[in-house]
Amino acid sequence: MKTNKFQETYSDAIRNKNIGTFSYWLHRITGIGLAVYLLMHTYVLSSAISGKESFDARMGDVQNPFFSLLEVLLIAGVFIHMLNGLRIIISDFFGWSRYHKSIFWIIAILFVGLMIITIAVIWPKFFADNYRIGG
Amino acid sequence: MSEKVSNQSLWTWFFQRISGLFLGFFLVTHLNVHHLFHDFTTEGLINFNSVRENLASSGFWKIYYFLFVPFVVFHALNGLWAIIADYRIPGKLSLLIKTAFWIIASLLIVTAIFTLKNLL
Repeated sequence: MKTNKFQETYSDAIRNKNIGTFSYWLHRITGIGLAVYLLMHTYVLSSAISGKESFDARMGDVQNPFFSLLEVLLIAGVFIHMLNGLRIIISDFFGWSRYHKSIFWIIAILFVGLMIITIAVIWPKFFADNYRIGG
Repeated sequence: MSEKVSNQSLWTWFFQRISGLFLGFFLVTHLNVHHLFHDFTTEGLINFNSVRENLASSGFWKIYYFLFVPFVVFHALNGLWAIIADYRIPGKLSLLIKTAFWIIASLLIVTAIFTLKNLL
C-alpha cells in the first residue's frame, strides 16, 4: 500500500485551495458520515424485529433534545451531499463543468435556505413537554 | 489480467449518479414524513404503532421502502468503495474489503427486509 498517498491527498488539499478541492472533501466527509449513520439507523430500527416493546424502548432512547441536535447535523450532511451530488451530476452529464464554481455558490445559497427551514421546523420540538432526556 | 478492459467501474460510476438522483427524491420525502414533520405535542413520541399506522396509510409506502433500501445500500457501499479504490490498495486487501462490503450489504438488506416486514 502506498502509505504516502494519504500525505499526498493532504498536501494536494493544502496546495489547491479552490472550490473543487473543498467540495470534493465535503462530499467525502459527509458521505462517510451518512454511511455511518445508515448503520446506526439500521441498528435502531432493527429492534422492530423482536417486536413492539424493544422497538418502543430503543426509539424512546433516541428521541430527545440531544438527538434532535444530532439530527440537525445529519440533515445538514444530507443536504450538503445531495446538493453537491446534483452539482456533480450536472457537471458530468450536461457538460457544464466549466460552470461548476458558479453552481457551487448557487447550491451554497440553497443549503443555507434549506437549513433555515430545517431549524425552524425542529426548533419547537425542544419545547415539547414529552420531549425530555430520559423520557 | 485479461486483455479485455472491464467496464465495471464505468457502470458503478454511472449507477452511483442514477441511484444518487433517486435517493434525492426518496430522502426528501422520508425526512419530511419521519424526521421533521412529526408533532410531538399532539402525536407523542414515534413508536411501533405510530410507524405502522403511518406506513399502512398507503400501499405506496410498501413499494417505496423496498426500493429505497437497495438504492441506499448500493449508493453508500459503492461510495465507500470508490474512496478506498482511490488509495490504490494491493489486490489481496482489496479483495478482502470487497468481500466484507458484499457481506455488509447483504446483512443490511436482510435486516431491513425483516424490519420492514414487522412494520408494514
